[in-house]
Amino acid sequence: MSAGPDTPAALWRRNLPVWAALMALLALSAWAAYWPFKTLNTVTGFAIAGAKAGLVLLVFMQLRRASGLVRLAAACGLFWAAILFTLTLADVLSRLAGG
Amino acid sequence: MSGAPGEAGAAAHLREPWSELETGPAAAFARQRDGATFGIWIFLASEVLFFAALFLIYTAYRIANPEAFAAAGRATNIVYGTLNTAILLTSSLTMAMAAQGAEKGLFRRLTLGCLAATAALGLAFLVVKGFEYREDIEKHLVPGAHFALRQAPAQIFFGFYWLVTVVHAIHLGIGIGLVTRLLVKGWRDPDVLTENPQVEVTALYWHLVDLVWVFLYPMLYLPGRAG
Repeated sequence: MSAGPDTPAALWRRNLPVWAALMALLALSAWAAYWPFKTLNTVTGFAIAGAKAGLVLLVFMQLRRASGLVRLAAACGLFWAAILFTLTLADVLSRLAGG
Repeated sequence: MSGAPGEAGAAAHLREPWSELETGPAAAFARQRDGATFGIWIFLASEVLFFAALFLIYTAYRIANPEAFAAAGRATNIVYGTLNTAILLTSSLTMAMAAQGAEKGLFRRLTLGCLAATAALGLAFLVVKGFEYREDIEKHLVPGAHFALRQAPAQIFFGFYWLVTVVHAIHLGIGIGLVTRLLVKGWRDPDVLTENPQVEVTALYWHLVDLVWVFLYPMLYLPGRAG
C-alpha cells in the first residue's frame, strides 16, 4: 500500500514513534489531571484523548491512506454523534443557564 | 488499493464464487478487500454512535452534578486506569504491526508474533480490570444501599462506570477471540494470512475498542484529582 522498503525493521520504524507519542500523551494526561485548575484540567484531558484518537485513526487504522469512501464512512459516525451531542447539550445547557 | 496479488493466490482467497464475465480473480479480490474495509468502517461508525450515546449521558449528568462527579472520579484507582490505557495503546501497536505485516505478505513470523502479543495484552487488560473490580467492590463503589460516597449523584457516575466498563470488556473479549482465531488459522496454514482482508477487519475493530477506552480514561479516572 505504501512506498518504502518492505522489511520488519521498516514497519517498526514507522509505527514505534507513534506508540512513543501515545505513551507521552498518556503521561502528560495523567500529570495534567493534578494541575490546580478545574476546567482547564478537564479540557486538557479530553484534548489529549482527541490527539491520541487522531494518531490511532490516521496511522494505525490507516485513514491517512484510505479511499474517499472509507473516510466518508468514518466521518459519518462522528458527524451523527456531533448532531446528537449538539442538540442534547443545547437543551441541557440552556436549562442550566435558565436556573 | 493494494497491489494485485498473484492470480492463484487471489483465487484461493476469494470468498464468493466469482463469475468470469467481468474480471479475473486478481481484480475481484481487490474489490473484495475494498468491500471488507468499507463494511467494517460502516460497522465501526454504528459502534461510534452506540458509545456516543453512553458518553452523552455521562456528559449531561456531569454538567448537572460537577462536585459529585469529581468526588466519584477521585474514588477510582488511577494507577489501574493508567496502566490499562498503556496496555491497550501498546496492543494497538502490535495489532497495527500484525496487520501491516500481513498486508505486505512477507513476514509470517512478525504477523503471528504480533497477533499473539495483541491477544496477550488484551488478556492482561482484563486481568488488571479484574483486580480493579475487586477493589471497587471492597470499597463499596457499587451503587446501592451500602454505597461509599455521600453525594447521591456519585451513584450515577458509578452506574455509568460499571455499565460502560463491562460493555467495553465484552467488546475486548470478542476482539481477543477474533485475534486468537487469526492466530490459529495463521499457525495451521502459512499462507492464509497473506493479504487476507480478515486481518485488516479484525485490526480495525481492535483499534476502535482501544479508542473507546482512550476516551473513557479522562471520563472515569481523571476527574477531581486537583486539590
